[in-house]
Amino acid sequence: MVMPAEKTKLVAVGLSHHTAPVEVREKLAMDESMVIDTLTRLRQDGVVDEAMLISTCNRVELYAVPREPNRLQDYLPRGRKLSPYLYWHRGESAVRHLFRVASSLDSLVLGEPQILGQVKDAVRVAERAESLGKVLRPLTQRTMSVAKKVRTETDIGKNRVGIGNAGVDLALQVFGGLRGRRALLVGVGDMGRQVARALLGEGLAELLICNRTLERASELAETTGGTAVPWERLNEYLSRVDIVITATGAQKPFIDKATVAAALRRRRWETLFLVDLSVPRNIDPAVDDLEEAYLFNIDDLVAVVGQGQDARVAAAKVASELVESEAVRFMHSLSKMGMRSQIAELTLNAEQIRVAELQRSSKMMMGLSTEQRDAIDAMTRAIVKKLLHPQIREIGASNLVESSSSSDPRKN
Amino acid sequence: MIRLLYIPVLALYGWLTIVHLLPAWVGERSVARARTVATIAAILHLVALTWLVFEGNTTPGIQEGLSAISLGVMVAYAWVGIGRVRALGMLVSPFALVLLGTALVVPSHGIRALEVTGYSAWLPVHLALVFSGIGGFGLSSIVGVVYLWARDRLKKKRFDGLQRLPSLEVLDRIQFRAMLFGFIFLTLGIGAGGAWATASLHHAWTVDAKVWSVVLIWFWYGLALQVRLVGGRRRRRTALFSILGFGGLLFSLVGVNYLVSGWHGYAS
Repeated sequence: MVMPAEKTKLVAVGLSHHTAPVEVREKLAMDESMVIDTLTRLRQDGVVDEAMLISTCNRVELYAVPREPNRLQDYLPRGRKLSPYLYWHRGESAVRHLFRVASSLDSLVLGEPQILGQVKDAVRVAERAESLGKVLRPLTQRTMSVAKKVRTETDIGKNRVGIGNAGVDLALQVFGGLRGRRALLVGVGDMGRQVARALLGEGLAELLICNRTLERASELAETTGGTAVPWERLNEYLSRVDIVITATGAQKPFIDKATVAAALRRRRWETLFLVDLSVPRNIDPAVDDLEEAYLFNIDDLVAVVGQGQDARVAAAKVASELVESEAVRFMHSLSKMGMRSQIAELTLNAEQIRVAELQRSSKMMMGLSTEQRDAIDAMTRAIVKKLLHPQIREIGASNLVESSSSSDPRKN
Repeated sequence: MIRLLYIPVLALYGWLTIVHLLPAWVGERSVARARTVATIAAILHLVALTWLVFEGNTTPGIQEGLSAISLGVMVAYAWVGIGRVRALGMLVSPFALVLLGTALVVPSHGIRALEVTGYSAWLPVHLALVFSGIGGFGLSSIVGVVYLWARDRLKKKRFDGLQRLPSLEVLDRIQFRAMLFGFIFLTLGIGAGGAWATASLHHAWTVDAKVWSVVLIWFWYGLALQVRLVGGRRRRRTALFSILGFGGLLFSLVGVNYLVSGWHGYAS
């Protein structure tokens, strides 16, 4: 049964990239079996009624309806040694925190979509460990719907971040979709790989990889599923692809305006999208003057990343307001749910006592008429109702008092 | 009095303009319903225009012409107005609103030819085909403006505002298809006009200034399509052809009638 006090009993304890350095976080990684083991022990040892554990590379968080809040920390890896890095949330603050985590408002990369999947995994694992109950189950369900609402009703996920994704965003602005397009990656450096991988993720039909050393191009081609092409035929391939990415250590441009103009004529002015990630540049900037050539350099991509981040920060403000109101709504519904069951239990108890007392007195009422018995029955009902009335009012009033804080629950 | 039928249409176009220019103010739901509103407005517009031409004892003239272009643009927009293409409504809605508003305030002049020929079954065919064509050209030129703006932003590496627009590829596809649509319908419309003249006048009819100007524009668009289909997909060039062509078409529709008299001239 849900008691109203449980709204304040809900506790979240954990650490994240906000409070703990990577050296600490990397020692806390927990796989699925470890999480199930921890949740099972928490229940068997009588420390919690319900619990859920989120473990990602950036955070470890335990959400629980505890019987002994003081002992929660002992069940996290490295236990008491974690104290300096831990944060505690309880009641509405814990609800708000989970909503923020699942909505990616607390993530290292604001708005990144992976966290929702990780929270879903945590819920699935907690279900397997049978550690979800009448508080955490509705909470996790509401968390999913809030996270989806944040994603659909705000722009939090619209501007992707990272150099690779910035390249994809620009390519999409030109082409609309990349399915069926062909790309040529010149050079096998990290930056080029990042952009190429992001483009492949959008459904490129073919990735050609060109490098001065064909062996290195072949190595990368094997891992990415691309095709290595010889350096000598670079200009020929320019007219066969829609996207060109250069990332080499060459000291001067090796793709000039005349070469690209010739390639464009050969492809009957089908758009050519070029990304030059190299410093010094590999593609003559004058290429951008050509009618159907769109050339972007590393600074342009950085600008797109910055713009995306700015847009996400702005969207995060809207999303935070949404999360705030959803947290209040959830606490209200939880509180109403608790109140209803408390009143129901009280009423049921009183009714059982009333019926038992009437049965005990039934012998004495043998001589009474049906009307007289009915009158006694109605009178006892009225007495019970009047006796319960102040208590029911008190339950309602106490549930109107919201409590929220983000302090150490051991102080309560 | 009968033009009061246009008032709800005007109100809906006004609402669409506000929805597209101030989406944050009107809210997500109104924005999501823009296409439905555009469709309802276009249907009401078609009813009003048809009623005016066939039941209102009105001789079609400049007012009906502007109204029909406004309708053509809105129909084309409601038809393709999906997804991010909705952003085009920022230009299409005010354009339709201004054209229809202008139609209601310019002095009414019937077409001179109708005074000579009287009503003909060719009239609705000629008008429907020509104004559908003009609607296509109108949409093509509006999308052409958006294309040039988006392209300029990308070339200047100023990326803000681009996310709300369709990609260059999609914009180009719409502007080219709308132009092709306009060209086919204008060609058929010119043919229907010729057939009407031959059937109604019962004698050799002379080609007036309007016909010359429209034929010139027909050649212009023909050239644009030829350049595009033979010379490769130079999208900027197509957009410029489209914008200049539509400017000429509007001049032909409104200006030529005032400057030169002829069969298409306004009756006194």
